[in-house]
Amino acid sequence: MNKIESICIIDDDPITVFGIQKMLSLVVQCDDITVYRNGKLAIDGIKQRIEENKQAPQVIFLDINMPIMDGWQFLDEFITLPTSEKVRVNIITSSIDKIDLQKWECFKQKTDHTITFNNKPIRKEHVAEITKVA
Amino acid sequence: MLNGTKTIQNNPLVKQLPSATVFTNKKFEVVYASDKFVRDFGFDSTHVFGKPINELFTTLSDNWENTLYNCLSNSSESLNVNYSLKSEADAKWYKWSCTAWLNDANETVGLIIHFNDITEEKLKGEKVAKLQSLLDATCEISKIGVWEYDFISDTLIGCDVIREIYEVSKDYKFSFDSAISQYKDGHSRNTIAMHLHDTLTNGKTWNEKLQFKTIKGKEIWVQVAGMPTYIDGKIVGIKGTLQNIEEQIRREAKTKENELLMRTLIDNLPLNVFIKDTESRKILVNKSECEYMGVENADQLLGKNDFDLFDKDIAQISRAEDLHVMETLIPMLGRETTSRTKDGKMVTFLTSKIPLKSNNGKAQGLVGISMDITDLKQKEQELRDLINVTSQQNKKLVNFAHIVSHNLRSHTANFSMLLDFLAHEKNENEKIKITEMLTQASDNLLETLENLNEVVAINTNINLKKKPVRLNQRIASVKHNLKPFFASNEARIINTISDDVKINVIPSYIDSILMNFFTNAIKYKHPDRSPIIRLETKNEEGYTILSISDNGLGIDLNKYGEKLFGMYKTFHDHSDSRGIGLYITKNQIEAMNGKVTVASEVGVGTTFKIYFNEQN
Repeated sequence: MNKIESICIIDDDPITVFGIQKMLSLVVQCDDITVYRNGKLAIDGIKQRIEENKQAPQVIFLDINMPIMDGWQFLDEFITLPTSEKVRVNIITSSIDKIDLQKWECFKQKTDHTITFNNKPIRKEHVAEITKVA
Repeated sequence: MLNGTKTIQNNPLVKQLPSATVFTNKKFEVVYASDKFVRDFGFDSTHVFGKPINELFTTLSDNWENTLYNCLSNSSESLNVNYSLKSEADAKWYKWSCTAWLNDANETVGLIIHFNDITEEKLKGEKVAKLQSLLDATCEISKIGVWEYDFISDTLIGCDVIREIYEVSKDYKFSFDSAISQYKDGHSRNTIAMHLHDTLTNGKTWNEKLQFKTIKGKEIWVQVAGMPTYIDGKIVGIKGTLQNIEEQIRREAKTKENELLMRTLIDNLPLNVFIKDTESRKILVNKSECEYMGVENADQLLGKNDFDLFDKDIAQISRAEDLHVMETLIPMLGRETTSRTKDGKMVTFLTSKIPLKSNNGKAQGLVGISMDITDLKQKEQELRDLINVTSQQNKKLVNFAHIVSHNLRSHTANFSMLLDFLAHEKNENEKIKITEMLTQASDNLLETLENLNEVVAINTNINLKKKPVRLNQRIASVKHNLKPFFASNEARIINTISDDVKINVIPSYIDSILMNFFTNAIKYKHPDRSPIIRLETKNEEGYTILSISDNGLGIDLNKYGEKLFGMYKTFHDHSDSRGIGLYITKNQIEAMNGKVTVASEVGVGTTFKIYFNEQN
């Protein structure tokens, strides 16, 4: 089973969070999974980790539509953070809006981090595939 | 005395003759002479007798001798004419009558010559000839023919111009009756006959335009005039003039025809046409212009300028345009102008003003053409409004489609995922947990559908009628319904709206709108202070604007501005934020043709301005 140091799930929908957590427990071995209910809480939490000299999460599951700070606004700030390692950001969304796909393309150009775009619903096999170190 | 004997030689009978007479021998030497002869020619009586004629008259023409010899040889009486010229200045003309002088044996012994003074006669003749040629020239140049009818002898004469008009040759003989018959049967002929009769009986003078047919059959218009000729106070004839005025008549007719054509054209154009002089006074207007100005008759506009007809502001603009066109001579073409008549009618015109140049190259006025495009403008505006509405609705529709698709997709994705878990789950406790989540997902989906339904209802229920409601009444009612909520949060309202303010709204929407803004203001209150909601209204360009200000948390509009009224957008970490309230509120306001704006400062408060459309 694949082993990941730390994973972060950013989503305001408890069912999606439950689903991702359940699938992760089946496909990877990880002792550090953090859940944030929106982008704002997530960016604050990750900043704090970096301040405490802890490693940034290796894999992030990111929702787009969230209150206060959405997925894109989170990415805007996240890619400016001083991270030592490359991070894999898996966008998990039910959006099939072209604009969201364009934004994704745009972010891929702007950063060295790996960013993937995944439409709901996601399956266990797919989670296994996208949950690895970038 | 030699003189005496000579004198005696003169025959006393001849001497006493009353006319100037001489008797000559065959050598034309004077034998006897009357005293009158000597006196008339101023001869010395002692030198006359025995002298030849040609010595006495030094200025005889060359052929006198032949003439006199002819008289001698011809025994029968003959008459020969000669003239004598005494001097250049005072010419006298004589007519000589020669007769052979016969003795008892009937033999020619000489000549008897009578001298008749015809100077006066001759001068008169010259004068007449001169006058005649002057008259002929006058006729020829003016093309006015003269004619004269002698009643006594029933003769009609006409000059060459008359002949031209009648189209007859020089030797044509005019007659009174045939001259009349050349006039066109009916009015023309009756008129001329009546006038001629009137002149002959009453001495009437007249002048008429009549129709006439030439001898060759050409029909023309003539101007004919006549007046009586008197001798000793008695009418003896008629004289008059005749002129071919066919061309003139035809030109007049053509001009009239052109005028009529022009008038018909400009009066029936669906355009306002006018001509102004340099003082911008109207000197011509067409029917459309009269109708636009609301007058029956063009005379009510002619001579008036724009200041007489329009309000000062409108007149000043128009006068400035006129002056510019007339000074620069550059036409103003197809300019959109707005005009307001004194009775307040607003009309949009497409106006052209074209300078009218006079002979000196300067403007002597202008021609104006205006097309009323008010309807067109209105249609254009309506179309533009319609396009705006349509594009906005289209935008809303696309937006709504996204919302629907996104929300439904996220729920179905959850169902799909949970069902997949359930199918593979062995642990009973876990199965129960998943089933609970499925129920939760189902509830969420129902709620989403209800919300979407509400939005659809607002946007499709366009038949709900707006009616005027007293705003304060609605505020009081909503406040009453929220009383426990207000009380538990120590919230209060400061209302400065006058009790008579009415707004034109769908009643159920206004309650929902007020409810939403009030609850938001309290829900997102500042932790350090009690919520205060301030309400006020003002009127602006057809809108009643209600502003609702709170002293709550405020919101960073730079970050969230564009999403504030979006569906399922929440900006505060409140568990009861559904992200649907403002979306529905905005839809309700827009369904009433209003709009909503927001201003906010984080930590200070938020102000929403709701524009209620008072027109439709």
